[in-house]
Amino acid sequence: MEEHKFILFLFLSAAVLVAGIFHFLYSTTLNPPSESEGLQNPLKKRGFVLVFMFIVFVVLLFVTVPKSPYFLFSNETPAKVVYVNAQQFAYMMSYKSIDLNKPEIETDVELPLNEPVEFRVTSVDVTHGFGIYNSKAELLIQTQAMPGYVNRLRWKFTEPGKYNILCLEFCGSGHAVMRSSFTVK
Amino acid sequence: MASLSLKKITAVWIYTILILFVLAILMGITMRFTQGKTISVSPIEFYLLMTTHGVTMIGIWAAAGIVAVNYLLARYIKVSTSLNVFALVFTVISILMLWASTFIGKFHAGWTFLYPLPFHIAWETWATPMFLWSLMVLSVSWFIWTLGSMVQILKKYSLRQSFAIQHISKKSPSVETPPLVLISMVSLLGMVVCFIAAIILLALLLAEYYSAGKFVNDPLLIKNLTFFFGHTIANEALYLGLATLYELLPEVSGRPKFKTTWYVALGWNCAIIFILGAFFHHLYMDFVQPKGFQIFGQIASYFATIPSVVVTIISIVTLLYNNKIKWSLVNLLFFIGLMGWIIGGIGAVIDATISNNIILHNTLWVPAHFHTYNVMGNVLFSLAFFVWVANEFSDNNDLQKYNKLVMPLLMVGGFGFVLMFYWAGAYSVPRRFAMYPSELSSGTALASAAAWFACIYLVGVLLVLFDVLKKCAKVFSSSSH
Ligand code: HEM
Ligand SMILES: [Cu+2]
Repeated sequence: MEEHKFILFLFLSAAVLVAGIFHFLYSTTLNPPSESEGLQNPLKKRGFVLVFMFIVFVVLLFVTVPKSPYFLFSNETPAKVVYVNAQQFAYMMSYKSIDLNKPEIETDVELPLNEPVEFRVTSVDVTHGFGIYNSKAELLIQTQAMPGYVNRLRWKFTEPGKYNILCLEFCGSGHAVMRSSFTVK
Repeated sequence: MASLSLKKITAVWIYTILILFVLAILMGITMRFTQGKTISVSPIEFYLLMTTHGVTMIGIWAAAGIVAVNYLLARYIKVSTSLNVFALVFTVISILMLWASTFIGKFHAGWTFLYPLPFHIAWETWATPMFLWSLMVLSVSWFIWTLGSMVQILKKYSLRQSFAIQHISKKSPSVETPPLVLISMVSLLGMVVCFIAAIILLALLLAEYYSAGKFVNDPLLIKNLTFFFGHTIANEALYLGLATLYELLPEVSGRPKFKTTWYVALGWNCAIIFILGAFFHHLYMDFVQPKGFQIFGQIASYFATIPSVVVTIISIVTLLYNNKIKWSLVNLLFFIGLMGWIIGGIGAVIDATISNNIILHNTLWVPAHFHTYNVMGNVLFSLAFFVWVANEFSDNNDLQKYNKLVMPLLMVGGFGFVLMFYWAGAYSVPRRFAMYPSELSSGTALASAAAWFACIYLVGVLLVLFDVLKKCAKVFSSSSH
């Protein structure tokens, strides 16, 4: 996914820009022209930066907020629902609501391609995470698995193959090995 | 001016902070080498190091900020030495309890001890109450410390004046509030609020612990409280670092003192409101949290940056641009710290965007950005204060004499260390993994590189430390000053 590279690129460019500005600022303090009086009209420039940042942020808010995961596929009906119960240090998954007294666990979860699916994620002990990684080990989407609450995560898988689930909330000594997987066909 | 007793307690604080800092860095390097598979440490040991490192680091740099503003405030108000002695005693007690709970009791629920993990006991049974009580001791004593520091200010300035409200309404008011007083007041108030939250949080957890199942908490409510506390203390600590920058940077650069203007006053008063609302971004991936909070979290996170960053940057540019500056270690640390703070802030804003957070939440991007504005931001602000104050303590007063290797070591080591975090985070490597799964082996390579960078940073820190500790010792042999 290009998104991951883009974020790193965006950040690094911004960081280099900031470093460049600081370097420039530093260089003006070494041998300033003798007739110079420093920055002219700081108040006006401050106003400009303020308005500029304000506009940038408002635009960014309008562009990014609608892409929030809470609104993903919200007016479509999921083709398949997967119930997920996280537990130190494994996941129980089922197509049916999980009854903890006699759980019917699906060991090979299969999900349809190009159709919206819904994960209903909760936990039986501590808070866990539920991060879905594609076959290139890129994180696609995630939610939290919190005891007493069910988080509904909707997604449309556009590539067939094996997907891994990793725990993305620290849950104890086995956190790094807590995982599962499913297939998209 | 600072009394001799205030100087002495400040020196003792600096000793305590720097020694704990070196130990906590060593824990960090151990973690990174473990993740890099250079050394082998069991997951339980890894996580107890992680827990100890997190609480210790957050604690010492918040303390450093309070210590620094207390020392500098003595220029304007009467500062109580006993308040700072009281805080030191209880901080040391709390740290000893904390380290006992982790190193002896093996408690390892992370520095955020997210409910209900502390109650799923995978360590000595006494370690959970010991950990919670250690934080309770810290929160109560620091509540008194920060509130006491505010009261000291209010003995000299009225409530309105301490927040510089008179500068917003009038062009040249009769009483001027120095920026140090304003920013200290804003940050101390934030800290007082956050310690109240911490005390409520810990009381709720202890109530559940001692009720033996009769009283059960709500995980979502506790998570909100936890991050209100955790996020706020980390941010207010940074603001205290900025307060020292406002006070000292012009002075050591040979430029006129900063004055509070209407926009400085307005900016800092706005910052407090936004910063208290920004913690919601820690709960973006809890889809059951009301959507209004989520979106408010993004708005607050964005706008929290505007007042402080814009006001500070314009002030600094005005101070430096085209002016001949005498650079010394003190103003270089402030200058580079400011740069690190802004770069870390950019990383934070990217992560605070909900649609990015879906692929960055709990990846190494998170320690990436907060380490940037700590390791290369707040720590440098505090080190600048330490170097400056140590010079004041010793008779040898030439700030421009310093080891020229310090800045390159700190910069190469520090920025290299955090870059490895950003890189791994962007490529989906999770945070808080004692080891990385085979498909994320890039995380392993980046981890050992990061550990070496951290060693370089540590050398820079040690060079500063030896100099500062040596000069601080002078304050104990002098009886006058
Ligand atoms: C060069 C110095 C430092 C090194 C080598 C270091 C290293 C680390 C490492 C390896 C982790 C675990 C990352 C993970 O999640 O996999 C960590 C976490 C953390 N560090 Fe640092 N760190 C340093 C400085 C600091 C500073 C100055 C602070 C100041 C506030 C800090 C605060 C934290 C916190 C709060 C955590 C999170 C702990 C948790 O997840 O429970 N660190 N650090
Ligand atoms: Cu986990």
